[in-house]
Amino acid sequence: MTPNSPSTPSRRSFLASTAVAAAAVAGGFPLLAACGGPAQGGKEGATGGKALKAILPKYVPTNLSDPDIPGVNGSSAGYTKLPDPLATSVKGTPGKGGTFKAMTPIWGTVPKKDNAYYTAVNKALGATVRFDPQDGNTYQEKIGAVLAGSDIADIVTIPGWNMQGQIRNAVVSKFADLGPYLSGDKVEKYPNLANIPTGAWQMSVFGGKLRGLPMPSPVIGNAIFYRKDLLDGLGATLPTSADELLAFGREYTDARRKRWAFDDLWVCIQKMFGLLPDAPHYWQLDGDKLVHKIETAEYREALAFARKLHDARVVHPDAEANKDADAKIRFTGGGTLMYNDGTGSWHGLASEQAKANPEFDMRALDLFSADGGKPVLYQDPPAGVFSFINKDLPKERIEELLALVDYIAAPYGTKEFQLINFGVEGTHYTTKDGVPVRTDRGIQEAQPATYLFFASPPHVIAYPDFPEVVKEYAGWMARQAPHVRKPLFFGMQIVEPQRYASLYTPFDDLQKDIRRGRKKVSDIEEAVNTWKKSGGDELRKWYADILEKQGSGR
Amino acid sequence: MKDLELARGITRRQRFLRDRTLLLMTLPAVVLLLVFNYVPLLGNVVAFQEYDPYGAGITGSPFVGTYNFERLFLDNRFWEVLVNTLVIFFTQLVLFFPLPIALALLLNSVLNDRVRAWVQGIIYLPHFFSWVLVVTVFQQMLGGAGLIAQQLRERGIGGFDLMTDPGFFKFLLTAQSVWKDAGWGVIVFLAALAAVNSELYEAAAVDGAGRWRRMWHVTLPALRPVIALLLVLRVGSALNLDFEQILLQRDQVGPGAAEVLDTYIWWTGVRTGDFGYATAAGIFKGVFSVLMVLLANKVAHMLGEQGVYSKR
Repeated sequence: MTPNSPSTPSRRSFLASTAVAAAAVAGGFPLLAACGGPAQGGKEGATGGKALKAILPKYVPTNLSDPDIPGVNGSSAGYTKLPDPLATSVKGTPGKGGTFKAMTPIWGTVPKKDNAYYTAVNKALGATVRFDPQDGNTYQEKIGAVLAGSDIADIVTIPGWNMQGQIRNAVVSKFADLGPYLSGDKVEKYPNLANIPTGAWQMSVFGGKLRGLPMPSPVIGNAIFYRKDLLDGLGATLPTSADELLAFGREYTDARRKRWAFDDLWVCIQKMFGLLPDAPHYWQLDGDKLVHKIETAEYREALAFARKLHDARVVHPDAEANKDADAKIRFTGGGTLMYNDGTGSWHGLASEQAKANPEFDMRALDLFSADGGKPVLYQDPPAGVFSFINKDLPKERIEELLALVDYIAAPYGTKEFQLINFGVEGTHYTTKDGVPVRTDRGIQEAQPATYLFFASPPHVIAYPDFPEVVKEYAGWMARQAPHVRKPLFFGMQIVEPQRYASLYTPFDDLQKDIRRGRKKVSDIEEAVNTWKKSGGDELRKWYADILEKQGSGR
Repeated sequence: MKDLELARGITRRQRFLRDRTLLLMTLPAVVLLLVFNYVPLLGNVVAFQEYDPYGAGITGSPFVGTYNFERLFLDNRFWEVLVNTLVIFFTQLVLFFPLPIALALLLNSVLNDRVRAWVQGIIYLPHFFSWVLVVTVFQQMLGGAGLIAQQLRERGIGGFDLMTDPGFFKFLLTAQSVWKDAGWGVIVFLAALAAVNSELYEAAAVDGAGRWRRMWHVTLPALRPVIALLLVLRVGSALNLDFEQILLQRDQVGPGAAEVLDTYIWWTGVRTGDFGYATAAGIFKGVFSVLMVLLANKVAHMLGEQGVYSKR
C-alpha cells in the first residue's frame, strides 16, 4: 500500500472486502449454517405424569460390589479399595466395527490423537470413537455455533450449565429420540444403562422425548475447599457463620505476603444464604404465587454479603478480575486459603499435588447458614451432564452406539470401568498392593474424561489410590446430606420458550457488577422491574401453568 | 494518460479481448470474494425474522418485519454499548494513532542501520503475541496482585488495581494496543519515508533549512497521503474494536465500561441465541461504518488528499 500508486480499483475492492466482511461476520454464519428440518411442534415445556412414565427406562440396579462407606440420606457411597477380582458387566465386544465422531468438553490439556488409551478402549469396544475435545471454559459458545450448523458429530456431550439461551431448543431439534431403544423394558438390553437411576433419566427428557444419556450427579456437587495445612500453620479455626467468614477473611488476608483468604466464593455464598439455584429451578412458592430468585430477600442479602468481602479486600485480585480459570493454581500455590469448586476436582488436585507438595491437604468446609444455623442446600439436578446422539444416524448405528455407551457406563469394580477410567495396566497405571497408581502417561491420556462423558454409572466416590480423600469426601457429603432440600420442579427438564431466552442473562452481569463494587445492591430493583416488564411476569404464568399441569417434581 | 486516450478509440469487446489474461487472473479472487463475502451477506435476512437456527432455519423462520430493529433502538443497553464503542474508539484514535508516526520519524532519524534494525525488531515483536498473552502480561504487571502493586505493598504503600477499574478501562485498552501494535504500525510510515527523494532534503539543507524545517516542509508532506488514507480506514472501522482483546477483559470491569458493539452482538447472538436481534445490530454497524468511511473520505478530499478512493 504505497501512497504513490493510484491503483483505484484495487483499493476500492479492498475497502469493499473489509466493509462487507465486517457486515457478514456481524450477521453470524447463516448461509453456511442453513438447513435443518422444519420446526417441530411441542418443543417447549416439561413432561410429567403418565407421558413421562411411559418413556422412562426401567431401573434395574446391578450390585456388583459393596461400598466401604455406604451412602446416607442420599449421599454418595465411598470405595477405598479396588475389588479383587474385578467383575465383568459386558460379555463380548459391543461394537460392530463402526466409526463414530464425538464432541466432548475438556478442561486442561487435550490428549494426543491416536494414543494408546484410545486405541485400547476402541479395541475393547469393537468400534472406533474419534474425539475432538473442545475447551470446557468456552464450550457454551462453541456448542451454540456447532448446533446451528449442519456438521454435528455423531455423539455430542452438553453439560447442563451450558444449556443457556436456546441450547435446549437445539437439543430438541437436532438429536435422536432414544425412547424406541431404551423406554421401559427395552433398556434391559443394556444392563449398565438400566443401572442408572430413574431421576437421571427423567432429566434426560427434552421436549417430551428421551434424548439424553445422563451422567448422574451427587446430591450436592460444590464445596468451599480450604487448605488445612496452611490453616493449621496459622492456628486458624474454621468459620461457622457469615460474620465469622468475613472475620476469617480479615484476619488471614495478608496481601504483602501475596496471600488472600478467598477466591470467588459466590457459588457457595448462595448456598449459605439459602438462595435458589438457576434455571429452571429459580422459583419458589410463596402461598400459591411463584416467586423468582431475583425477587427474594435472600438474593439481596447474599449479594450484600459478597460485596462486603469485596470491600474488605479479602478476595484475591485476580479472582476479582474474573480470571476463574486460574483458581486452582491460586489455591495450590497458596495465593488463596479457600476457594470454591466442584467436588469432582478434589481427587484430581490431591493427586496432582501429592508429588509436588506432600504437605498439601485440602478439605471441604461444612456449609452453614449465614446466621450460623443449619443451611438450606438445594439439591443439584440428578444429572448434570448429558450426551446426545445425532438424529441423522440410522437405527443400526444408534443401536451400536448405545451398546458402546452401555460398556462405558459400567459401574465401579468392573473390568470395563477400570479400562475406561484408568486405561491399560502397565501402560497407564501400575497396581501396587491392590492399589492402582496412574503413570505419567495415564495422567495425560486416560485421566481427562473423554468416553466417560457418554454416560456414567451412578455417582460413587471411588479412589483406591487416595483412600483418605474418599473418607473425607464421603464424610463431608454425608454431613451435608441432611440439609439437602429439593427445589421446585426438581428433576424436571424444562424448555423455556425462545422469546424468554435473554430475560435472565443480564442478571449474570449484574451480580458480578454488584459483588465487585461497580453497582449498588439497590440497583437490583430496577433490573427486576425491567425483567418483569419484558416478560418476567409472563414467564411466571408460564411456569405456574407447568406447576398446575405437570406438578412440582418434589 | 496516453493509454487511456488510445483506449477510447476501441470498443468494449476489443478491450475485453486485450485484457482477457488480466481478467482471468483476477477471477479466483473475485470468486473468493463472492463466495465468502457477498453470498454470506444474504444471511442478513435473519434480522427480519424470528430466526430459529436450530429448527426452522432461514427458510422456515417467520418474518417479523422491522421488529428486531425496533427492539434494538428501544433498548437502552444498545445505546450504552454504542457510546462505549465510540468512546473507546476516540480514545484510541487520539492516543494511539499519532504514535506510529512519531516512532517512524524517530527511527528514520537513526542513522546507524544496526541500531535501527534492532529497535525495529524489538518493537515489532509484541505484535505476534496473542491477546490472551498480552492480557496476562498486563494482569501480572498492573493487576491487584501484580508486580507493581506487590512492590508498592512491600514498601508500605497501598496496592492498586488498574485492571478492574472501569473508569481506566479505555486507557488500559489503549495502553495494551500501543504495546502490542505501535511498532507494527511503523512499517507503513517507514516505507513512505524511504520513498522520499533525498535530493529534496539536500536542496532544503542547501537553502538553509534546519532539522525542524526539513521535517515540516519535506517529511510530513510526504507522509500526508498515507496518514490520510490510514485515518480514513481507521474511522471506517471505528466500530470494529479489537473483539478478542475486549471480550477477554469484559468481565474484569463489567459490561458498563467494556461492552462494545462486537461483544454485544456476540453476547446476544452466539451466547443467548437471539440471532435476529444480533443480526439487526450487525446491520446497523455495517451501515454506520459505511457512512463513516464516506464522511472521512469526503473530509480527506476537502483537504486535497486522495483518501481511500477518488472520483474519476
